[in-house]
Amino acid sequence: MDLDPRAAWAGLTRAERGVVGFVAALAALLVFGLLTGGLAPTYFLYLLGLVGMYVLLSFGLNAQWGYTGLINFSVAAFFGLGAYGTALLTADSSPIAGGFNPLVGLVVGLALAAVVAVVIGVPTLRLRADYLAIASLGLAEVVRLIVLNQREWTNGSAGLRGLPGFFEGWPVLATFPEAMPGLRIAVPFGATILLETPFWQALLNVGLVGVFVGASYLLLGRVHRSPWGRVLRTIRADEDLAEALGKDTYAFKMQSFVLGSVIMALAGVFYAHLNLFVSPGDFEPINTFYVWIAVILGGSGSNRGAMFGGFVVIAIREGTRFLNGAGFVPLDVAPLRLLVIGLLIVAVMRFRPQGVLPPQRELIWPGALGDADDAGTPRSAERGDPRE
Amino acid sequence: MTRVSDGDGGTERAGGSAAGDPVLRVEGLHKAFGGLVATDDASFAVERGTITGLIGPNGAGKSTLFNLISGFYDPDDGRVWVDGTDVTGAAPHDVAAHGLIRTFQTPRKLEGMTVREAMLVGPQDQPGESFLSLFTSPTAVADGERANLAAAERILEEFEIGHLADQPATDLSGGQTKLVELARAMLAEPELLLLDEPVAGVNPTLANELAAQIRRLNDAGTTFLVIEHDMGFLMSLADPVVVLDQGSVLMEGPPEAVRSDERVVDAYLGGGA
Repeated sequence: MDLDPRAAWAGLTRAERGVVGFVAALAALLVFGLLTGGLAPTYFLYLLGLVGMYVLLSFGLNAQWGYTGLINFSVAAFFGLGAYGTALLTADSSPIAGGFNPLVGLVVGLALAAVVAVVIGVPTLRLRADYLAIASLGLAEVVRLIVLNQREWTNGSAGLRGLPGFFEGWPVLATFPEAMPGLRIAVPFGATILLETPFWQALLNVGLVGVFVGASYLLLGRVHRSPWGRVLRTIRADEDLAEALGKDTYAFKMQSFVLGSVIMALAGVFYAHLNLFVSPGDFEPINTFYVWIAVILGGSGSNRGAMFGGFVVIAIREGTRFLNGAGFVPLDVAPLRLLVIGLLIVAVMRFRPQGVLPPQRELIWPGALGDADDAGTPRSAERGDPRE
Repeated sequence: MTRVSDGDGGTERAGGSAAGDPVLRVEGLHKAFGGLVATDDASFAVERGTITGLIGPNGAGKSTLFNLISGFYDPDDGRVWVDGTDVTGAAPHDVAAHGLIRTFQTPRKLEGMTVREAMLVGPQDQPGESFLSLFTSPTAVADGERANLAAAERILEEFEIGHLADQPATDLSGGQTKLVELARAMLAEPELLLLDEPVAGVNPTLANELAAQIRRLNDAGTTFLVIEHDMGFLMSLADPVVVLDQGSVLMEGPPEAVRSDERVVDAYLGGGA
């Protein structure tokens, strides 16, 4: 947008400055960790991959809850469907049809999630919002139990191992990690940093999730700031009103539900090829609630918020591991992470119920505002600090 | 307000059978909730170009009738025609597609939207409401959006609330919300507009403003069916007036005739007078 950093800073709302400050501080901490050898570069990249995965999950839920007000408690199920969808087609140990290219797995994983979303949506989306919430709560368990018990299809509790990396069979990228030379970087004060094959592998994964996140962000941004996104917002605020104004709310809710579920499945596909192993444990309902927290914390309806929320949830989830190692804390901290997250959500609800980065722009197709070159910017300031 | 009504003032018309050009025709509508009969064989018609009033004591079934007509309730029996098309049992958005737009008794606020955005929900069949079109024909979407933005701006100006466009839709007063609702409904270019208590909770100045707007839009060709408890407002605006009592049509006629009709007085005073 603006190249002058000072002007860009001045144009931010207070919340945005806070977020920038927070991210900068955390980044500084991470760089410090990397340089002193406290944080292994490969593990750091693995964490980044997890962040990307959570951001995708948050995007998916945001497209359902944030845009349309659909209450989906089966985030973990759609995530798992994506993961199993690709795993069943690509893994060596797949009891169905292993050995396909991961791209086929990607398509099948997403299609599987879309089909299940339609199946669950047909009976529930015509009813009031509560029914989808109830049905999705059940769906998560049903999917988990099917995967656990239908051994002849899914390997049951043993899970599926032997998944290929996502880029297996690609021209250059498949051999990229092996082809890269091992690097040895000597840091003046700290340890020597080794960058070898696993590092390049992890870097490739981060690149992949970056592409997934970037593509989803662009797609969601485009569809949200449009008449389509406006109808979803209307449904969220008042479904009867949307109907009275001639909008087929059932069709819109279905589209929003399928879109969100497919993005969740995309996160699952990434996870399967990151971890190279999937098991019924990936359907843990706790993940659903982490994602809910990310979306509410970030600001329902805002993709930037979902991004930030996903980032914070991982920071807390993984950061507490490090506190454990630090000698100055007398308690075992890791089990407290749920408490921390709980307190955080109470604090957000109490002091900033709209979330940290609530949506700011009017949902008007940018192309129609052509003459005001970057549309929405003059207005975003007004909306930035809403009714407080 | 001195609208010319056809024929002698006091005569009742059997619903639907009258000659003319009805935008809305309702015949024998019946709806019961458990043992409570809310609408009992209601029949009437709304002629094109009129402002038809719908009055009745509390519990007469006015809002139920609105919900039946606009598709929010399915009738147990009877039929509804909008612009000659049978829409009985159709979903509300289908009824709206046939040109019948309604407003609600309690103003519906669009949380998280500006007035401009809330207005832009009004236009029907926007190209950008199709998910695919956003990718396959972005220029059509942009053209549609530009036209709708211009129309929204123009209508807000006509309603003299252009200055509200940037306001959050939730920050308006009750009266302003009603004005925005009416303005938005006009963006849908309805054949018939159903207003459910347009001036309930609105201060007298704004109520006059609303009345003037309704008259202006009516002159421009929109037909209205209005439920209202404020008799002064309705009697000066509507002609004819349909009186509903215990779920069925008690009488229909010009306001003067309704006002002086004994059955109407009885209905309102519970038969004691």
